[in-house]
Amino acid sequence: MPKQRRLVGELAFAVLMLALSLVIGYLAYQISGFSSINSAGAFPLGVSLIMLLSALWFVIEAIARQPAEATGLAALRQFCREHFPPQVLGFLGLAVAYLVGMNWLSFYPSTALFLIASMVYLRKGGVLIAAAVTVLTILLVYLLFTLVFSVYLP
Amino acid sequence: MSEALSYFTMAWFDLGLLGLTALGTFAGIYIGAIPGLSVTMAVSILVSFTFGWEVNQALALIVGIYIGGVYGGSRSAILLNIPGAPSSVATAFDGYPLAKRGEAGRAIGLSTVMSVIGGLIGVLVLASAAPIIGNLALKFAPRDYFLIAGIGLLLVGSLAQGSLAKGIFAAALGAIIGMVGMDPVTAEGRFTLGNINLMGGIHYVVVMIGLFGVAEALGMLHNMGVAPVKQKVDKIIPSFAMVMKFLPLSIRTSLMGTIIGVLPGVGGDIAALMAYDHAKRSVKKPTRPFGEGAYEGLVAPETANSSAVGGAYVPMLTLGMPGDAVTAVIIGALVIHGLNPGPMLMVENPHIFWFTVGNLALANIFLLVFGLMGIKLFAKLVEIPKAMLIPLILVLCTVGTYSINSSMMEVFWMLGFGIAGYFLKTFGFQMGPIILGVILGPLMDTSYRQAMSSVGDDPLAFLASLFTNPLSLILTTGLVLILLSNTPLMGLIKKRRAAVA
Repeated sequence: MPKQRRLVGELAFAVLMLALSLVIGYLAYQISGFSSINSAGAFPLGVSLIMLLSALWFVIEAIARQPAEATGLAALRQFCREHFPPQVLGFLGLAVAYLVGMNWLSFYPSTALFLIASMVYLRKGGVLIAAAVTVLTILLVYLLFTLVFSVYLP
Repeated sequence: MSEALSYFTMAWFDLGLLGLTALGTFAGIYIGAIPGLSVTMAVSILVSFTFGWEVNQALALIVGIYIGGVYGGSRSAILLNIPGAPSSVATAFDGYPLAKRGEAGRAIGLSTVMSVIGGLIGVLVLASAAPIIGNLALKFAPRDYFLIAGIGLLLVGSLAQGSLAKGIFAAALGAIIGMVGMDPVTAEGRFTLGNINLMGGIHYVVVMIGLFGVAEALGMLHNMGVAPVKQKVDKIIPSFAMVMKFLPLSIRTSLMGTIIGVLPGVGGDIAALMAYDHAKRSVKKPTRPFGEGAYEGLVAPETANSSAVGGAYVPMLTLGMPGDAVTAVIIGALVIHGLNPGPMLMVENPHIFWFTVGNLALANIFLLVFGLMGIKLFAKLVEIPKAMLIPLILVLCTVGTYSINSSMMEVFWMLGFGIAGYFLKTFGFQMGPIILGVILGPLMDTSYRQAMSSVGDDPLAFLASLFTNPLSLILTTGLVLILLSNTPLMGLIKKRRAAVA
């Protein structure tokens, strides 16, 4: 049976998770050290040990697989293409702008802008339909959340 | 008894509760059916809106959505070959081939009736088993809770697709997230990095909305262009003879689904896959070969995933442990409303139990009505373009998160968890174990410390107590067996045996 190939970036991510579990282990140790088997930090320490062991395990699993097809810079490029395609990056950018913008614009205007912008962006056009859907959504959100659920919105 | 009956029928005769259950079931069917919207997502967002409601109203709506949503996934599985929810993955195996043969209407009708049968059997088991388990649970010691939670995390870690190591890692990560904040016993800060905002902990609805809402939406950006295939839908209501023909199989798979649902942490998705496998092995002469449109391949997963709902409520209402990701969220809803899910719930608030049982039964009846109606309109709704759905999901996630504490900080946390979840998913980590870890981690911490205190902080006495008490011994053995069956050791033993034979 031929060995499965690693995904691009899989080993790097596994090592990153290993590092994360080391950091969590350190933080768990900081809670109350090894002072008592029944301290605030005892169970967290145990959990972080389990994390560390399982992370080691999947790092080894990843190493045991055949290396990914691309290496070095080419791998980085492929990684970005696969996991950060333009639409993911673009949408995330819009999402952050939406949340930050909410502080100044308040909820409804920023939501309207975000919905129109992201729909136009994802569909590559169709401003009229996007505007219509946005108006409908805003109306529904107002009816449902402001009137029925009486949710306080930013 | 008459008291139980009056609570059981409470939602049946109260117009408001009746309406909410119906609304929930109806909405659930569509939420479950639209690929990308999941029941867990919907319930997580909803819990944050129903803070100010009365507990019965909130529960009625959530129960409806849960029942409707688990069923709804089957529709898109049959019509589009895209399971609307993880629990309907197995439904697509034979459902879509049936639709391609032009039998989509009959397939949907049959899966509706079978879901209702499965759902009612699940409710029946819940009503009869939960009081017994609840009584038994009063005798559970903290170490038993510790063991059961451990079994739950191990099960969900090992049964999730992919590697066991990743499953365990995800569950442990969840447990750490759940413990962020002030320690409930000593009031020391844990994992707060000195940040005062983190002393209150991370609200797990924030984590859930991030992992099940935002991460899901980001993942959907990858396959935007999948166009649905239009199917002809007619002859929806199945004949009585047809239902009777599959009744024996449906009872078997329903019981199977309920039992799998009872196991803490494992829910309808695993139940459906296992039931499909069971049908494949046990039915000698299927209507057609499995995978080519066998009705048996539709009946088995649909009964199992619906019956698992009733099962999942058993550990939740008796032990305060979630049977799956949705019940994990419902536990949160109960806590928010000042109730304490666990053995004392049955003693202190028996009405919640009987109300839930009655409500589940009612939701199943609504499912039968709505399931056999409006299929043509439905076929249009599931075709909603993802380019519109994804921004809508983000807006809903934002509103949901903000409504918990009116905190913009938490909204950013939610986005952060979403992005982290997106990466974890990319590399084969499941979201289910994380969320169960968030719920079960703090519970394990508390029960571990209570258990330790009860033996005077003596680790040897703690270990001994795991083996000397009969109940603890059974649980410990179970835990060890599950662990062993997932390690390479088991493979080696099997190989040895095969070699010897």
